[in-house]
Amino acid sequence: MSFDLIETILFALLTIGIVGGAVGVVFLNRITGAALLMAFTFLCNAGMFVLLGAETIAAFQVLIYVGAITVLILYGVMFTPQQERPYGLFFQKQTPWAALFVAPIGIFVALFAFSFRDSENPSTKGGDLVPLATSVFRDFAFPFEVASVLLLAAMIGAIVLVKRDDE
Amino acid sequence: MPLGPFGLDPAIWAVLRLVIAVLLAVGLVFNGALAQIYLERKIQAIIQDRVGPIHTGPWGLLQTLADAVKLLGKEDIRARLTDRWFFLAAPAFVFSPMLASYVVIPFAPGVVGADLNIGLLYLTTLGSMTVLGIVIAGWASNNKYSLIGGLRSAGQLISYEVPQILSLVTVVLVVGSLSLTQIVDSQPGIFINLLVLPLAFVTYFIAGLAETNRNPFDLPEAESELVAGFLTEYSGMRWGLFFVAEYGEVTVVSSIVTTLWFGGWHGPWTDIHPLVGPALGVLWFTLKTYFFVLVFMWIRATLPRFRIDQLMSLCWKFLIPVTLTNLMVTAVLLLAFPDDKLPVAIANWVLLVLFAAAVPYLQRRRLAALRQRLATRRLSLATADRPS
Amino acid sequence: MNIPVGAFIAVSSVLFFIGVAGVLMRRNAVVILMCVELMLNAANLALVAFSRRGGSADERGSVFVVFIFVIAAAEVAVGLAIVLSSYRNRPTVDVDELHAMKG
Repeated sequence: MSFDLIETILFALLTIGIVGGAVGVVFLNRITGAALLMAFTFLCNAGMFVLLGAETIAAFQVLIYVGAITVLILYGVMFTPQQERPYGLFFQKQTPWAALFVAPIGIFVALFAFSFRDSENPSTKGGDLVPLATSVFRDFAFPFEVASVLLLAAMIGAIVLVKRDDE
Repeated sequence: MPLGPFGLDPAIWAVLRLVIAVLLAVGLVFNGALAQIYLERKIQAIIQDRVGPIHTGPWGLLQTLADAVKLLGKEDIRARLTDRWFFLAAPAFVFSPMLASYVVIPFAPGVVGADLNIGLLYLTTLGSMTVLGIVIAGWASNNKYSLIGGLRSAGQLISYEVPQILSLVTVVLVVGSLSLTQIVDSQPGIFINLLVLPLAFVTYFIAGLAETNRNPFDLPEAESELVAGFLTEYSGMRWGLFFVAEYGEVTVVSSIVTTLWFGGWHGPWTDIHPLVGPALGVLWFTLKTYFFVLVFMWIRATLPRFRIDQLMSLCWKFLIPVTLTNLMVTAVLLLAFPDDKLPVAIANWVLLVLFAAAVPYLQRRRLAALRQRLATRRLSLATADRPS
Repeated sequence: MNIPVGAFIAVSSVLFFIGVAGVLMRRNAVVILMCVELMLNAANLALVAFSRRGGSADERGSVFVVFIFVIAAAEVAVGLAIVLSSYRNRPTVDVDELHAMKG
């Protein structure tokens, strides 16, 4: 078994995981199931990053998305309990407009994506830890600092928003 | 072609080492859990001036086996309204990241499952996936106490990830690589990194105690609490799986401490012979790791437990400023004196002394403030009009 | 590697459009946040695919992915804070019923 065959099989499995998880998030009635399927989509996305040779980004994906954002969304799901609705009341009133809007643009983007099919395939070059670190801390140091300020502002804002008024 | 470890052809070794890594991981985890359950009882008994298990087998060695048989034979109680799939899956979410951590730990020169160049990042990533399992376990039990216990435990784990990662980053700054094999290779002896970075060791050890839900941070699963937090509804072997996961996590944290600060597999006579050398390396590594596991158990038998708000304020108001200061000072000194570890060592020891002196100082100030508050309150109560 | 870069872009666009459909179709505000995260993941996949597999070796795609991680985390935190405080006023997260500022 050459590596090419293994990579193709892995790519197919990960694609099924990503698309299946995303469809589950949109169409599942039970919200906690949808949250866990979203976590599964994030994990398959991290697998795609490893397949592309970007293992640091894959580790960050799992650390941030599965480790933190999924937990946040589960907290949100747990603290907002609602009655189970029948499936018919499930969608907003905008569903036909959504289909009208999404379908043509979707076809256009799919055509654009498949136009890359016959381009050259360069091999993934080494690991991405050192180039990523060099770029973030030297070329993009200022956006990095701005991003940390943004995180600080978001954290303070979130805490202030959920404080109760009687405290 | 150069020979790999144990004198084998590198192509054969590449396949063999995956097999060895998986066997070592599974063997270490389960046998380690068995050994640690027994050790915990004996050590707690010795510290508490009693004998511990002595009836089952010589010196009570078969006690863990008896426990395992008992757990396997218990009835699988499952409350009716629990979410069935999540209830069954939660122990797996907690156990799998722990098992996957063993693949990057270097047991001997060349005996490592996968020499990832992001080894430490991989370990912290797996540590953060455990939080998801605990939240699901707390929610799926359909029990208010489990839910609150699970959310508290998740909050504790997320909070203590920050000083843990900051301590690890300090070591990575000094060593210059995230790969665990390179961290071990860069230490010429056993105590080098400890002498250079003692404060990072202390803060990582405290954060590791909190990350593995061990005493004094084991409020979610404490034996003297009324309910067992997110573990309340789990009985029999499902509870057993959570506990194997906890002991496995303790071993992983001890292995990281050994690798980063105590030289990993370094020890006398590790390079005399390509067959005996790595085996001795594994032996030294295991001895050092189990020394730290024993320290974990010693702390459990001695210290009282933190309340949840004390635990959180310890993390956010004390450990995070200390680790951030450590990181900044180390980074600045490494930039100012490149390739020289001595200023970093001096600064770290100074910070460690300040850290150790700050604790009684802060406690005295808090006690004085508390006395002041009580005095003013007593005064206001005495002078108020009360129909008594 | 025999997987063309267009395949990754196709997966990324399919994921993106499932996310868009979810945002437009679902009523629960938390599920809408989840679908926004799916869209951000699709963007990350496309960026990393172009940066690691495209014509020239350029690491700036991966750097931008790091910034998207940061922004996604901040957005989920603030979005959930808003949803929770709105839930405190009226106990519903149904976006069809949160129309007090309409008209």
